[in-house]
Amino acid sequence: MKVAVILRLVPDVVEELVIADDGRSLAEDEIMYITNELDEHALEQALLLKERRGARLTAIGVGGDQARDALATAVAKGADEAVYVPLEAQDRADSHRIGAHLAGLLRQERFEVLLAGTQSIDELDGSLGGILASHLGLPYVGGLAAVDTDPSGSKATVKKEFPGGRLAVLEVSLPAVLGIQAAEQPPRYAAVSRIMQVKKSLQVKEWKAPVPDVVGVRITGLAKPEAAGRAEMIPGDAESVAARIARLLQERGLL
Amino acid sequence: MSGGVVVVAEHAMGELADITLEMLACGRASADASRSGLTCLVLTDDARPFHALPLAADKTIVVQDPGLGSFNPEAYAKVLGHLLKDLAPRLVLLGNTTVGTDLAGPLSVALSAPVVGNCIKVDWLDGKLVFTSKLYGGKLVARSVIERGSVLTLLMAGSYRKERGMKDAVAPIEVRPSPVSLEGLRIRFREFLKPEAADIDLTKIPILVCAGRGVKGPDNLKPLRELADLLRGAVCATRPVVDQGWLPRTRQVGRSGLIVKPRLYLALGVSGAPEHLEGMKDSELIVAVNTDPSAPIFDVADYGSTEDLLEVVPALVGAIRAMRGST
Repeated sequence: MKVAVILRLVPDVVEELVIADDGRSLAEDEIMYITNELDEHALEQALLLKERRGARLTAIGVGGDQARDALATAVAKGADEAVYVPLEAQDRADSHRIGAHLAGLLRQERFEVLLAGTQSIDELDGSLGGILASHLGLPYVGGLAAVDTDPSGSKATVKKEFPGGRLAVLEVSLPAVLGIQAAEQPPRYAAVSRIMQVKKSLQVKEWKAPVPDVVGVRITGLAKPEAAGRAEMIPGDAESVAARIARLLQERGLL
Repeated sequence: MSGGVVVVAEHAMGELADITLEMLACGRASADASRSGLTCLVLTDDARPFHALPLAADKTIVVQDPGLGSFNPEAYAKVLGHLLKDLAPRLVLLGNTTVGTDLAGPLSVALSAPVVGNCIKVDWLDGKLVFTSKLYGGKLVARSVIERGSVLTLLMAGSYRKERGMKDAVAPIEVRPSPVSLEGLRIRFREFLKPEAADIDLTKIPILVCAGRGVKGPDNLKPLRELADLLRGAVCATRPVVDQGWLPRTRQVGRSGLIVKPRLYLALGVSGAPEHLEGMKDSELIVAVNTDPSAPIFDVADYGSTEDLLEVVPALVGAIRAMRGST
């Protein structure tokens, strides 16, 4: 069975996000890129599938050069093959363009299971998995918290989160695209020494092709949220903050 | 109703979900602003519970088929693809939920319509649709404009008031069979799993101490538990904390967890991602501690501090003990 996981490189939102002079994108040189968190979960789920079913796992890094580091980490964790799909900055957050582009590249590859995070932190235009699946003529279901396949790789049994936190079991004929919300276990760590070792000998395949110009949404303005109901910030060190919170609770009869 | 507004209803066990009413509220405002009509689409295996609902739609179309008993993204996308091609609406509202996000991609490709996700507001400006969406975990808002043609929009929970999704009269309803065969689907619904048994009911506890990613590790939960015990409250968590296995799933607050409205919500190391805010923003008093001054949690909190929670929490335990000792 062949399994692929898509790893998108996205801005780390823990860092300050600086809006570029055009007022509708992020200042590229201020961005710290990390692997999209839900794609990390998709990778973990893919590694579990590999361990359980002896699948061959291909990690597909999508984005700028930082994707090569993500691929080294994926291989250090157990992926068998690394593929890099370079994208220009303006295409990176566009699920429609990425979906059409990847579909073109993946059509010949015949993966039984294609995994991606259900959403990415930087996308405005909905879920990549569903777009990719539609272009490939495959079924798609996302919001998944568990995936297993039968030994022959003809169908997957998945747990899907429904609104309100209910979980349901669905069966999906393979090949299929599956959107991961959370892997069955927290994403594993790879030792830095192991990643460095992998990097030395890593063979990364590069898939290059023009990105199709598909119907999409362009952001016309990016801004910090309006500070309508903003919190009153308590000044001082931890002790004085604690004292103020304690008084607040007392005043409101919460002690 | 070409050029109108369509809401794709979400429902469970014969009841419309809150997000459906919120979408109807958004759709009503949008239909009025563009002088068009609002249609509510319900896909189900049993139309009966949807007959006499006082919805703000001009019309409700219920598609009834045994294959639509539980949400199946493939079945829904097939049926909706057909209906939406006929209706040719300008605006289609889907929930920004695990239902809506499954449908947006397939419908977008089938209808050649763009998708605007994470949407919190829809406006009309000179015949163009203007969308406001949360992006980057709620740290920024993005505006986008769709000048013509159909657009699919994923509306975030809590963006519109659900009361506005209803009205005093019952909208005309039309029950139809599925326009397409739902045989031979590649996705099959099997069963709902019984929810994990919770040791406590978070929704009934008046004081919640929420652990976010900023607690950094399971060992740091101890002082939070101590604080919760002292306040006769309970510890709850954001999704990343639960995904790491630091607290059980039954303690998760947010879109895929519980919706809570306690008297006090202490958000500790919580960034305030939109999916978490959906679960707690209506708490009576919100106090947030997070070292990142730009964390969106401060947009919903009443009081905030950027001090290190690992210092504030023990100090708060001490301060409360001292106060109680002195009274």
